[in-house]
Amino acid sequence: MKLNRRSFLATTAATTAVVGTPMILKAQPSEYVLGASLPLTGPFATAGQLVAPAFQLAAKLFNDEGGIAGTPIRFVTEDSGYVPQNALANYQRALATEGNAMIGYFADSTGAMKLIAPELKGENARIMGSTSFASELANPETHPYQYMSGPSYQSQFDILLENIAAEGGKSVAFIYSNTEFGRDPIEHGKATAERLGIEVVLEEATKPQGADIPTHVTKLAQSGAEYCILQGYVTGVWPQLIGGARQFGLPTKFKGTFWGMEKIIADRITKEAGPFLAGYEGVMPYRYFWDREDAPRYQQYAALSKEMFAGTPLENYMSTWAIQTMCGLEIAMKAFRDTAEAGLELTADNIAEKLTNISDWDTGGFFGGPVTMESNSIRTGRVYEYDTESGLFNPKSDWLTV
Amino acid sequence: MGQLTQFAINGLMSGAIYALIAVGIVSVYKATKVVNFAHGYLIMFGAYFYYTFAVIIPGQEWAPSWLASWEPVWLVEMKEGLPMFSPMGAVLDWVQNVPRIIFGIIGALIANAIVGRIIERTLMRPLMGQSIFAMIMVTVGLISIMSGAASIIWTADADFVPHIAPNAPVRFELFGSTIFLFGADLVNMLIALIIFGGIVLMVRYTKSGVAIRATAEDQSTAYSMGISVPKVFSRAWVLASTTGAIAGAILATRNGISPSLGLFGFSVLAIVLMGGLDSYIGVFLAAMAVGVMEAMTQWQLGGDWAEIVPYVAVLAVLLIRPHGLFGSKEVERI
Amino acid sequence: MINGNLKATYAADERVLNNSYKQAFVYGTMLALAFFAAFANEYMILIACKMGILLIAVVGVNILTGYTGLVSLGHGAFVALGAYTVTMLDNGLTGIIPNQFMFFVVVPIAIAVTALIGVLVGLPSLRVKGLYLAVATLAANFIVIFLIEQDAFAPWTGGVVGIDTPDANLLGWVLDTNREMFILISVVAFTSLLAAQNLIRTRVGRAFIAIRDRDYSAEILGISLLRYKLTSFALSAAYCGLAGAMFAFFYSRILPEQFELDLSLELVAALIVGGMGRTMGPVFGVMVIVMMPEVIKVFAAYFTGGDAASARYISPLQEIAFGLLLVFFLLKEPLGINHITDRILRAANRWPFARG
Repeated sequence: MKLNRRSFLATTAATTAVVGTPMILKAQPSEYVLGASLPLTGPFATAGQLVAPAFQLAAKLFNDEGGIAGTPIRFVTEDSGYVPQNALANYQRALATEGNAMIGYFADSTGAMKLIAPELKGENARIMGSTSFASELANPETHPYQYMSGPSYQSQFDILLENIAAEGGKSVAFIYSNTEFGRDPIEHGKATAERLGIEVVLEEATKPQGADIPTHVTKLAQSGAEYCILQGYVTGVWPQLIGGARQFGLPTKFKGTFWGMEKIIADRITKEAGPFLAGYEGVMPYRYFWDREDAPRYQQYAALSKEMFAGTPLENYMSTWAIQTMCGLEIAMKAFRDTAEAGLELTADNIAEKLTNISDWDTGGFFGGPVTMESNSIRTGRVYEYDTESGLFNPKSDWLTV
Repeated sequence: MGQLTQFAINGLMSGAIYALIAVGIVSVYKATKVVNFAHGYLIMFGAYFYYTFAVIIPGQEWAPSWLASWEPVWLVEMKEGLPMFSPMGAVLDWVQNVPRIIFGIIGALIANAIVGRIIERTLMRPLMGQSIFAMIMVTVGLISIMSGAASIIWTADADFVPHIAPNAPVRFELFGSTIFLFGADLVNMLIALIIFGGIVLMVRYTKSGVAIRATAEDQSTAYSMGISVPKVFSRAWVLASTTGAIAGAILATRNGISPSLGLFGFSVLAIVLMGGLDSYIGVFLAAMAVGVMEAMTQWQLGGDWAEIVPYVAVLAVLLIRPHGLFGSKEVERI
Repeated sequence: MINGNLKATYAADERVLNNSYKQAFVYGTMLALAFFAAFANEYMILIACKMGILLIAVVGVNILTGYTGLVSLGHGAFVALGAYTVTMLDNGLTGIIPNQFMFFVVVPIAIAVTALIGVLVGLPSLRVKGLYLAVATLAANFIVIFLIEQDAFAPWTGGVVGIDTPDANLLGWVLDTNREMFILISVVAFTSLLAAQNLIRTRVGRAFIAIRDRDYSAEILGISLLRYKLTSFALSAAYCGLAGAMFAFFYSRILPEQFELDLSLELVAALIVGGMGRTMGPVFGVMVIVMMPEVIKVFAAYFTGGDAASARYISPLQEIAFGLLLVFFLLKEPLGINHITDRILRAANRWPFARG
């Protein structure tokens, strides 16, 4: 059996010509598909299950607005269990079954983004957003098709460290989960701390779930750090760490990045275990959902949520995680629509070009003002502080650009 | 030196919990010759049951309010004016939680005992007399079944469970540095040690303990001596699942509830083989040794290195002593 | 009726394909695979590639567990070693060896390296058996993955973040689509299956079987346990290394966590479901293990209409089904699917006479 590339391609081409599969014929699809992997099970299941309804909302919202130049859009959401290879398998499966109708993909982890990135080439390239703020992805040179709907974790660390320096802090501890997500900004954070004259007295990697809390808290206590930055956690570990430290009577001030800034989790901790989180601060790239007076897009979401999720807790509140996903989808839709309006075919290269050129865009919510894509990321954010009485995260700084 | 003591104590505390987990594996092995790879998942079920009975049910609307938080007048009076996070406050918080902690533990014990019985009747009994390989792999299959079932039933990664004992901080000076300990951890260690000791004494001195040992020695002889071997089997499984429930409740308060609690089973399996499968003493020593070594590794090298300590230790021990430190060598006849 | 099975010479009896049915089956399969490569849609190709990669590894596990009777719960580590060796060598040798020949250099080296490490991991097998060996290999798996993840080796292995892998380049033919990879994978998998079938009719294979049946008896018969147990470990590791190489070429990037315990258990589970110690066992097993989650997914999508809220039940259901499958076969059909097909074939062969 002799088969070389040429004869193989000839056979394939002949076959497709006969059978008429859409492999080579690029007809305009009757609907566009946006695939997504979400952590509906596994360590971050709580987050995934809160984000999943956002896709329902987005489907309704975008299709009511006319989809992409009249063509409706459909979301295919699958579970990844926060395992990158499952996300990759989902992506490959979606690519194989949907073909050219699939114009974008939404992944659920830093690991998945990095695992799928090299698959995005030639015919298989698709625009990809994600829940990740991994610094490596903010680089159109190496990751032309992937974008971030906020500032990178490194930038978030910079904001926090500068904040600490401004408060006169001298020592800081980094506690992070032993995942790509957790490790991402650590090296950069050390460099920034050194530049600002803050001593990093402890770098502690923990398991992303089921970590040995007493030992980690002991190490934090022994290090005597004034501040502690937590990175790489979503729902578990970080509240227990803070709780443990408070029970020990440690004066350490805790700070977090985007994934540790969710009201639902903070409220649950306050209800279950007391006001541990008093004074907890962190960086958040977006407005919280209650801050929607001058945010027309948020008001639209609120109206739709009331209608679609009546009777569930989602009726009145959209989690920060769902907001992040919505922001990611809005950016992708903007790029799709810009491409379609320009009369270009919806190929990954065309969309990516439109996406990088988004500038001075009024999102109608999300951010403090109009934003511009820089290196495929949106470099803005704000420091918030949690108030255990009202259960709200109150802004502690203006909108910062990094 | 002070630091060393600190981490040695930490190690002993987690070692005691390892020992409590290990006792389940050893008991089942002694009685049935089955090595339960899924024991960690039995513990995970224990943790989730504790969470169900101590957090979910008291949180329901129909549950009496004293179950969720017991607030007699004297307690409210005592709490007033106390500064936040004071040791006394921690004790009073615990008193408030006592009803649901007790409810949670009893619920977890019963529910886990039922799960243990079901596993024993449906999967383990048909396996009597099968090859070691088949037994291992059935328990491996059980891992998937249990972890899948848990993620269908529960999503709890963001919830707190109440500590079994008051979690007041304990701190004192030793060799010039401060030692930090959690009150709850000390009590957990005591509970684990007492249960471990109790089971060892039970197996040694009570009638059902003798039955377990006789079955371990020779099943058919035990049968002919009038011992009901199936009863011994189910007793061993109930013993394993109830100790597992306690271990699960402790782990849930220490490490938070998550599906990854099941992974403790693998490191404890390594500990059990290190100590010798059928020796309580050996397993106890191995558990303590691994606990201390893990804490030392955690201290010197960081969290990620600590995870492989049990595996490196078991490989080293098996190469030198193929049947563990105190295990008895199997005699093979051709 | 049983016919066409008369053997007039020993040579005829000892051939790999010792009757016309087997020959017809083998040539038929080759033809079917060629058609599949040309006509199957992208989705089927994707699934088939996954099956092929897993198959190579399961054939390796079969040599160790099915034929030699040694349990391993750590063969995922060998797949990892194969994948990482290929990737690291490819990165290291770029510019030294022309790209067209790279494949033919790195793959044999990767196989050799994994075989060597297989011997190393196999050393405890001389002292411990059964359960102890299972736990020792499991421990080895944890340690290998841990080492790959270490920052100290990150310049070569990529650490936790993973590493981009090369495309296969066969004398200038760059296999950069799944369809092209399928051709390579199916050829390699097919050849390794035939090689395994050939192995067990040799002296080495018979020694393996003797060890499986009773190792001390085998030793008394003059079979060196040291030599053959280690050979078995080396061979099965080599197969897994080859599977790892294919894995690296098929995917664009590899992560250490892809080769953890889950993979090792999947390999053994596929073997049990398919049938241990039989050539076709791995084939059936891999088909079931890879197809089962896909079928559940399709059914779930059919019944729920692709609703996002119910998507969270799919992967736990797949997990439960995996466990039930394993338990079912161990309790009810310990010889695996191969035994079922044997019965069917025997009945067909004797038809219209009595079955049994």
